[in-house]
Formats: sequence, structure tokens, C-alpha cells
Amino acid sequence: MGSVKRKSAEESSDCAPPQKLQREDDDDSTQIINEELVGCVHDVSFPENYVPPAPSSSNGDNKPPAKEFPFALDSFQSEAIKCLDNGESVMVSAHTSAGKTVVASYAIAMSLRENQRVIYTSPIKALSNQKYRDFKEEFSDVGLMTGDVTIDPNASCLVMTTEILRSMQYKGSEVMREVAWIIFDEVHYMRDSERGVVWEESIVMAPKNSRFVFLSATVPNAKEFADWVAKVHKQPCHIVYTDYRPTPLQHYVFPAGGSGLYLVVDEKAKFHEDSFQKSLNALVPANDADKKRGNGKSQKGLMLGKLGEESDIFKLVKMIIQRQYDPVILFSFSKKECEALAMQMSKMDLNSDDEKDSVETIFTSAIDMLSDDDKKLPQVSNILPILKRGIGVHHSGLLPILKEVIEILFQEGLIKCLFATETFSIGLNMPAKTVVFTNVRKFDGDKFRWLSSGEYIQMSGRAGRRGIDKRGICILMVDEKMEPAVAKSMLKGSADALNSAFHLSYNMLLNQLRSEDGDPENLLRNSFFQFQADRAIPDLEKQIKALQEERDSMVIEEEESLKNYYNLILQYKSLKKDIREIVFSPKYCLPFLLPNRAVCLDCTNEDGEPQSFSIEDQETWGVIMKFNKVKNLSEDDDNKRPEDANYTVDVLTRCLVSRDGAGKKKIKPVPFKERGEPVVVSVPLSQIKSLSSAIMNIPKDYLQLEARENALKKVSELLSRHPDGIPLDPEVDMKIRSSSYKTTVRRLEAVENLFEKYKIAKSPLIGEKLKVLHMKEELTAKIKSLKKAVRSSTALAFKDELKARKRVLRRLGYITSDGVVELKGKVACEISSAEELTLTELMFSGVFKEAKVEELVSLLSCFVWRERLPDAAKPREELDLLFIQLQDTARRVAECQLDCKVDIDVESFVHSFRPDIMEAVYAWAKGSKFYEIMEIARVFEGSLIRAIRRMEEVLQQLIVAAKSIGETQLEAKLEEAVSKIKRDIVFAASLYL
Amino acid sequence: MMRKIQLPFTQTQKVRYERAIERLQSLSSTANSDASVIVTDTIPVNHEDAFLKGHGTSEVEGELLATVCGVVERVDKLVYVRTLRARYKPEVGDIVVGRIIEVAQKRWRVELNFTQDGVLMLSSMNMPDGSQRRRTSVDELNMRNIFVEHDVVCAEVRSIQHDGSLQLHARSQKYGKLEKGQLLKVDPYLVKRSKHHFHYIESLGIDLIIGCNGFIWVGEHVEVRDPVMIDDQKDDEMMISSSSTKEQSHTPLETRQNICRIGNAVRVLSNLGFTVTVEVITETVNLSNSKNVGIYDMIGSEFHVLVAENEAERRRQKRKK
Repeated sequence: MGSVKRKSAEESSDCAPPQKLQREDDDDSTQIINEELVGCVHDVSFPENYVPPAPSSSNGDNKPPAKEFPFALDSFQSEAIKCLDNGESVMVSAHTSAGKTVVASYAIAMSLRENQRVIYTSPIKALSNQKYRDFKEEFSDVGLMTGDVTIDPNASCLVMTTEILRSMQYKGSEVMREVAWIIFDEVHYMRDSERGVVWEESIVMAPKNSRFVFLSATVPNAKEFADWVAKVHKQPCHIVYTDYRPTPLQHYVFPAGGSGLYLVVDEKAKFHEDSFQKSLNALVPANDADKKRGNGKSQKGLMLGKLGEESDIFKLVKMIIQRQYDPVILFSFSKKECEALAMQMSKMDLNSDDEKDSVETIFTSAIDMLSDDDKKLPQVSNILPILKRGIGVHHSGLLPILKEVIEILFQEGLIKCLFATETFSIGLNMPAKTVVFTNVRKFDGDKFRWLSSGEYIQMSGRAGRRGIDKRGICILMVDEKMEPAVAKSMLKGSADALNSAFHLSYNMLLNQLRSEDGDPENLLRNSFFQFQADRAIPDLEKQIKALQEERDSMVIEEEESLKNYYNLILQYKSLKKDIREIVFSPKYCLPFLLPNRAVCLDCTNEDGEPQSFSIEDQETWGVIMKFNKVKNLSEDDDNKRPEDANYTVDVLTRCLVSRDGAGKKKIKPVPFKERGEPVVVSVPLSQIKSLSSAIMNIPKDYLQLEARENALKKVSELLSRHPDGIPLDPEVDMKIRSSSYKTTVRRLEAVENLFEKYKIAKSPLIGEKLKVLHMKEELTAKIKSLKKAVRSSTALAFKDELKARKRVLRRLGYITSDGVVELKGKVACEISSAEELTLTELMFSGVFKEAKVEELVSLLSCFVWRERLPDAAKPREELDLLFIQLQDTARRVAECQLDCKVDIDVESFVHSFRPDIMEAVYAWAKGSKFYEIMEIARVFEGSLIRAIRRMEEVLQQLIVAAKSIGETQLEAKLEEAVSKIKRDIVFAASLYL
Repeated sequence: MMRKIQLPFTQTQKVRYERAIERLQSLSSTANSDASVIVTDTIPVNHEDAFLKGHGTSEVEGELLATVCGVVERVDKLVYVRTLRARYKPEVGDIVVGRIIEVAQKRWRVELNFTQDGVLMLSSMNMPDGSQRRRTSVDELNMRNIFVEHDVVCAEVRSIQHDGSLQLHARSQKYGKLEKGQLLKVDPYLVKRSKHHFHYIESLGIDLIIGCNGFIWVGEHVEVRDPVMIDDQKDDEMMISSSSTKEQSHTPLETRQNICRIGNAVRVLSNLGFTVTVEVITETVNLSNSKNVGIYDMIGSEFHVLVAENEAERRRQKRKK
């Protein structure tokens, strides 16, 4: 057991939450409202030329607050509410657990009092459902609009997803004329690469006179965001920022194979480096073989544990329970891992009998609405025994209803130990005492990377229940060595910045073009993306100016001729390098890398000082010991030909051995004549200058210093006899016959002759002069690249892409040459949940009309399914035929885009439509039971349900589209399709409604 | 497509007119006369291939029939009939000009030359003070402060309901009541949908709104002002003061003459059956000015012939390019 383990966190002195007093008073648009503020920063962004209205006495001050809270408000909450009372927009940036909802509910109460509408948007449907339930309890006049359900759309307070808000704006819904306040929850979702653009669109298009409440996780650039809102909507926007946590956090490390916890960051946010080192020392490295096979993919120790031994995760959970750190959330980064970990808890029972009964009651009443067949689904029947033992699983692959049951059980405290994926970290307040990270690396599409500090902050935000726990606990399971700096930046780094993820879509363009006021360019100009780009310009220009001044201050005599000389040297060097590369390519030189051969090394000082500009290089001599192939850790080198691999050569030479600050040994070859120890160093091939034809006669034992000294003596003897060291001639001795070698040598000779023409080369201080010139040249290059950056950001972002995309729309007949939306374009306007162009083309080519209803549904599944299933069977012939038609259409659309210079990869576009669940969906439309289709498609239940729900959304959009072209039969067919898929467990209502 | 014009042409005028029309017809390339159909005509389609039948078509006993007179249009596999010289056929997003014919509960009814009256809901109209709130019963009682019968309004088509009725809405402040000008009615097919239907002819100080329903508004230019949030009490004062100032200000004679000139230009174009766009209208106005044609004389036969000749020349020039 480790010695620095937590001893008495609970008993240790009670410390006040870290309260920070920050002040900003820099630019003139900033003003400090309240100097006495503790714990939060308040700032205001004003639009340009903003004249504040005269403070009207009748407004706000004497009105009673719209809502009273039964508890004392935190300073940031009361600050934000003060802004709301003044009728001004506010951005609240705080941790998940800090209590931002208070601000939202105050805004709702205020709007209801004023008889105004208020819209609350959240990024996720499930979250909307939960919020609807909460607000409905409190305010009653509340409606809900998501893609799945619509409840009471005439209510004064509407909870919706941001996508719905955007489509209401495009359609000019009357709600938009009545809404006074729009609340954007989790607005940091704006950086989502796929959906983030929706936030920008709906913020830009929001009604002029509406006010906003933005709720966001902590973002360092909240001010920038508020500046943007103030500019776009010409209204002041307040920022209330706090990084205060109601319950402070302690961060521990649990090393793999170890048995204890190590406090790494305490509640005062101090990083304990010694403790961190100790934890790493306790790390039992995974077996090398395991490591190679798993390649970091899954932690062996975590998953299996050694035979007869408990796995790490089991040990950890046991420890947590023993110390009463429960409830605990254990985050992992894949659904499969999540399930596998939960399975290891099979021996654990955390619930009393009473609790077991309540779990069963809640569970059975929740699934009561399901049909008997659905109740027998393996996922449903298998999960109850686990839940009863107080262990839960939460990820997107679960049936939505199970997910909700588990959320409810967790909130009731009936689940003590929850295995969850990252999705659990956003949304409704569901805190635990402890949060465990089962992995510190995350797979992000193409590689494993360390968790970012932003992700860490978001997930660790679940630790610590306000009012219950004195402090929250975060445990990091570490299974490999990690630099303290990496750990520090992860645990204590700043939150991710809120950056625009703006991109164009055809649907967006068409909707903008369709309305008289709309203009896609206008949208681009007002986007956060453009705002951020514009903002960077003054900074860049400042940099350019400074660099230019620096450059101009460097005065060099005879600059012209010096410059020519300089260029010539560069040329000479590059030619020499070329030659060396040919000669010392492994193909030619490996046979000559014999032990005891004398060798000439390049020991030019590379790091630190700028390179010297004399033609002479510094060199040293040594003796080859042996050469090695460099092993890349991950690559399978064995497949490569020996010529291509990297080699290092061990050379005995005179070296300067020094120790740097960290106590690391630094060995550097030095010129032969200088002082130094004879040491064997390993040098890359590229550092060898030439090989001598002489092979020394040296005893094989190098362990003795004397022996090494003697060997070098022999080398110097050789050199005294032959100053040039009798180098191997590349052509004669090494038999290099390549033509490129010969031409390069000839060119080098020509360049060498040119040197003599330069008188300047003989001038004293030439080295210094060249150094100065070199710096100057580097500055010029830097200025050039900066100028390029400025040019690209002053132009309207996306301008070229906009042009190209408009070209596509014209060529496909969606808009006329004057930019008037045509019939096809109007159809594509309606489709926002799937690839609009391909779908519209398919519709107009009559494919939907021809296909049977079930086939039509099955075809649509390709638009919503993006996952590749390894063992998916090829769909039956008639479905495959349809799929081929889809691929042809998609290819045509993609090729048209390519022709119009839209940046697109045709093949990956075509293959983004996946036929993998066609059969399953076909069966579902035919009326199969859910367990039957689960046997056809081996995917997670939750993923399949999400796909079918999304298809229903697409179908609804197609119905509107069919109506607009007047095709009544197709419309009826699509209606039929909806009725066929909308049934049973797939569309089971949310428990929150 | 020669139109009968009831105008007292002299012999030379008639010859000149006919020659101009002839030239126009020879220039128009849309000579697929078989594409035009009348009601119950069979539309040839390839029945083995799937096709989509759009507006103005119906399938009867395996044959595709036209249910309106017009031109058959095909977009990929979609077949539909575009009507000519019929009533206005609305599409979502169209800009229309109409006249209020009734103030009903929470809504106004608007005459639009459509088969039904358009409906403009109170909630689809911006509040006069620009505030964002739910409409109350007081607002309902005050509806006549916004529009009364016979007011001319401009709005955008928001949606077409299942029963075919038309919902209008005012997307921004520039929609709404139109004052100090003329309303002209032309056949809807003479108006082409374009990127912009609101035009401000700066040289004349005139606003021109070419409604997709064939109602064209020519009026004195008004600045679209951004609404400012005003307190309720001040708001009432504003209403009074603005209505009083309204009566005082009057349109200068020159502007009124410009309105009439543009109005007559539209009339001439409509009589001749030429597409009404802002370019053609301004050109016609310029022509009348350069030839020193008086406002009243613009609707005389001589000017009609001039316009026809001018149009023929214009299209020929355009063709050359």
C-alpha cells in the first residue's frame, strides 16, 4: 500500500471554496459593474456606437423579482439575474454543477410575467425532455418541441432542440415574433464540428429585439463570444464568468496493478509532484506482449486481471465502497468497454434488500408500457439483476427507456456505481461523490490521445454533490508512464476555448436564398467564424510591423554581393547534402559499415547557436563499432526492405560529456583535437561525413578507458600520415553508378569554382556578416507567411466555397442563374436531417415512387446510418438494387460537386451511405418484432432505435417536400411509411414526459 | 401569344405594331407548341418508367391528364403543368401585395387574386412598437389600429394549408401597410419570381413592390426604421403623434407625378403582355421621358407601339450578345 495514500480527506480541515477575485479593466468597452464581487467576473460587451438608454425609474427597480428562490443565490447567479432584470442579454459561463439553471428559470419566470414567449434550447433531445419535465412542474405553461414529440406548441415557454429553433426561423414561425428571451443551454456545443453551425445560424437569425441567455461550461474566451453577440445584435451582452465549484475537488491517481490512491491535486488546486512520481513508480507495467498486441487499445490489466487475481477495476470499486466514496461514476470511452467493465462487477452487491425491492418496483413500472415481446429483449431482461445489485451502465447503445430508468435510479441513489460514457457528462444535474476515469487516453477517430483538459473538466464536473459532500473525488486510472507536465496540463489546464465550427451546407444556402431578406453572404459576414478571423487581424498586423522594424534595423554593408554569396553557400550546402544522401543511403553504405573502420563525423553544432556559414564543416574522427536498425515502436518494420529502414551507427569517438540541469547525461562528439572522453555514441547515418578506406586493428574489448584511448590514438596516427583520412571514393570504391550522383557532383564542382569569384568571402568577419544576413532572411520569410495569413482572413471566409456551392446548385437545377430557388431547390429546402442533394435527386428520379413502401424505408436507412458493421450481410437483391441506385446518384452528385471545385472526396462521399441496417429496417417496416430485427443487425439497441427515429424525421420532411411539388401519391406513400415504422419500443414515449 | 389590344390604332401604327410583335415572336425560342395543353389533354409520359405527377395533372385510367390549361414542364421524372393567364398560384416564400377585405378574429383577410382569401394572423404581424410578446385581447381589440378594410398591405407567403388556404406573414419591418401610392393589377404570369421583389428607384424616390400575385405597388419611398423598444406609456403618445404627423405630411407633386408615370408604364407593359420587371419598367419610364410623352399620353396608342418596338429592339440586342 502506498504511503501517500489519502488518509483522512474527510476529516481534514474544512476549507472554504476557492474564491477568486478577478478584475479586468483594460479596454474602454469594458466596465466593471460591481467591485465588491466575490467569486465571479462580470463584464459587459457593448456594440459599437452604443448609447445606453437613460435609466428609467419605472423599469425594473420597483418591480418585485420575477421569482424568489428558497436558497441564497451565489454571487454569479445574482449578478446574472440583475442583468436579466435590466432587460439585457447575458452569457453565464460556469461549471456544470454550479447552478446555471437558476438563471434560466428566472428568465422564464420573467417572460411569463411579462406575457412574452421564451424559448429554451438544448443540444440533445433527451436533455430537452428532462428540462421540459422540470419546467413543466414549476411553470405549467410549458411546451416541448423535438424531432420526436411536440407537446403544446402554443405554450409561452417552449423547450426545443436548437435544430427546431433554426427551422422555425427559416419558416418564419409566429413564435419568432413573440419571443422575448431565447435561452441557449450548453452553448459551448457550438464547437461541435457537425452540429455547431446550427447555433451560429440561429443566433445570427434571431429576432432583432429578442434578448438572450447563454449558458455555457467554463470557456476562456467568453468575452469574445459576448462581443460577437453584441456586434451582431447591436445590444449589450453581459458576461458572468466563474470557475467556482460548490464542492471542491481532489484528484487522485490509481496506478494500474498498484493498490492505492495517490493524491495528486488537492482541493486547493495544488499539484503534488512527489506524490505523482510515487504513483508512477507503483505502476506495474503491462506485459510487453500484451502491450504490443493491444497497442494501448484496451488496458489488459483493467479488462482481465491476472488469473485468480481481482482486476484493477474491481479492486478500485471495492476500495471506493469501503471508504464510502459512493455513489461513483466510472467513465470509459467506448460502449463495449463500458459493458465489459460492468460485467466484472458481477460479484459485487451494493444494495440492501429494501433498495433491491425499490429498484425492481421502479424498473417494472417503467417498462410496463412495453409490449410483452419487448420486455423479453435480452438487454431489458439482462440488466435488471445488475441494477438490483446497485450497478448501472449508461451509454448511447442502450434502449432509450433503459437509459432513462437508469438515470432515475441513479438520481434516487439506488445505483451506487455507474459505468458511463462521455455523454453522461453533459446535461441534467446528476452528480456523484466520486468520478473515475478508467482511461486517460481517448480514441478520437484515428489515434489515441491524452484527454484534453476541457474534457477532463467537463467529466470531473460530475464529482461532488452540492450540499451533501464536502468535496468531490476524481480518480485517474493510469496504466502507463506519463510526464508530470502532461498530467498537470490535463488536471489543471484551462477549459477549451469556444471556437467556431462554421461550415456551409446546401440546405442552409437554399433556405437563405429563398427568403427575400436572406443572403448567405450576410450570414457568413455575421458568423462567429468571421468574427474570430477578423479579430485576429490587428494582432497579426502588429506582429508584422514589429518584425519589419526589426528587419529594417539590421544594416549590412555590401548587402547585394553578400546576398549572392549567401545564396551560393546555401546551394553548395544543399548539393553536398544531396550527395551525402545518395552515398549514405543504406543501399550503398551498409556493406562498408564494418567494425573498426575509421569514420569522419559531422559535429557541427546544431542546437543553440545559428549554424555557421563557412564552407568548412566541423568534423571529427572515430571508429565504427557496429550499426543498428532503428526500431519504430508501432510500425511493423519487418515488412520493410532493409534499405528503407533507419539505421544508427555506434561510433567510438571523442565526446564532450556534460550533465544538464535535470541530471541527464548529454554526450556530444567534439572535434578530434579538442578535449573529451573517448566514448561510444550512436549517431544517425546522416551524421557520417565520409568513410575511410582504412580499417584499424583494434582489440575488441572497449570496456576499459585505456583501450578506447588507444584506439583513438591509432586514428590520430592515421590522420597524421594521411590528413584526409584516405576516404573511400564513392564511384571507384563504393560502386555508386547512379546518374543523379554524377550530375550532382558535377554541379557541386561548378559551384565550388564560383566561390573564387567572390571577393567578399575573403573579407574579415564574413562569418558574422553571414549570420546577420541569415537572420534577416528568416525574418523576411516569417513576414511573408504572416502577410498571407492576414490576406486570407480579410477576405470573407468561405467565399470561394460559397461560390462553388452555388455553382453546384445552378448546375443541378436547384437555383437559376439569378439565384432564384427553383422547384428542386424548394424540395431540398425542406430536408435538413439527411444529405439533401442526394435525397432530392433520388426523389426526382422517381426511385421513391417505384419502390415499395418497405423498400423505400429500407433505402432511407442508408441516409441515417454511418457505422460500418464488420459482419453485416449483403442486403437481398431488390434492396441491393435500390442501394446501387443510391450510390450512382450519390456519385453523380459528388462528381458534380468536384467539377464545381467543392472540396470533396467522391469515394468517401459515396461510401458514407451504409447499407448495413437495410435488412433490419426492411423487416421492421414489414412488422417484425424488435427482438427479431436485433438478430438481423448486430448493433447496439439504442443505435438502431436512434436511426429509425431519425428516419421518421426524414420521412416527415419528405412528406412536406412531396406536398410542395403536388405529388399526392408519393405523399400518401410516405405517410404510410411513417405509420409502418412508428410503433412499439422504437417510439416508446420518454419517461420524462 | 398575340394579345388583342383594344386600342384605336391608326393604319401606320397598326402596321408598326404588328411588325414589332412579329419580330418579337421570331426572337422567342420557346417554340415547343406541343408542350401547351388544355384541360383533359393527355400528357405523353413513358409509363414503364416511374414518373412523378405534379401540380395540374391527374392520373385517370392509366393516362396522365392535364387538369389545367398551360404548359407541360418536366424536371427529371416530375411532370407538371404550369398555368398561363390563370389566377395567382402561391408558393412558399413569395412576396405578395394585397388588399385587406375583412378584419376578423385575430386575423385579417386579404384579397390576393388567389382562389381563396389570404389569411394574415395578428400573431404573424410585427407589433407596431416592435416589441416581442404574446398578443393579448387588448391587441385584438386594437387590430384596426394596424390595418382596416381597404388598406393595401405587403406580406410573404408563409404556408399553404391542407385545405388550400393561404397563410401570410410579415418577416420584418418592411412588410406591412403601404401608403401614398398606387396599386396596379396585372396578370400574375407577367411577374417572374426573382431574387428581389422590393425595389427602390432612387432617382425618382419611389418604392416599387412587384408582388408575385400580380399586384404591383408604386408609392413614395419610406425608410424602413428599426423599431425601438419604447415604454408602454410613451408608446401611446407616439401613436397619437405619429398619426397626427401623418396627416400633415403630404407627398410632393413631383413624386406623385413619378408614381403616375411608373404606374402608366406598368399599365402599358401589362396591355402589351410583356413581363414586368424593374428593368423593363424603368426603361419604359426613361423612354417616355426621352420622347417627351406626357403622363396621360403614355396609355395612348402611339406610346404602346413605341414600347413594343423598343422591346423588340432590346431583345434583339440582348440576343446578339
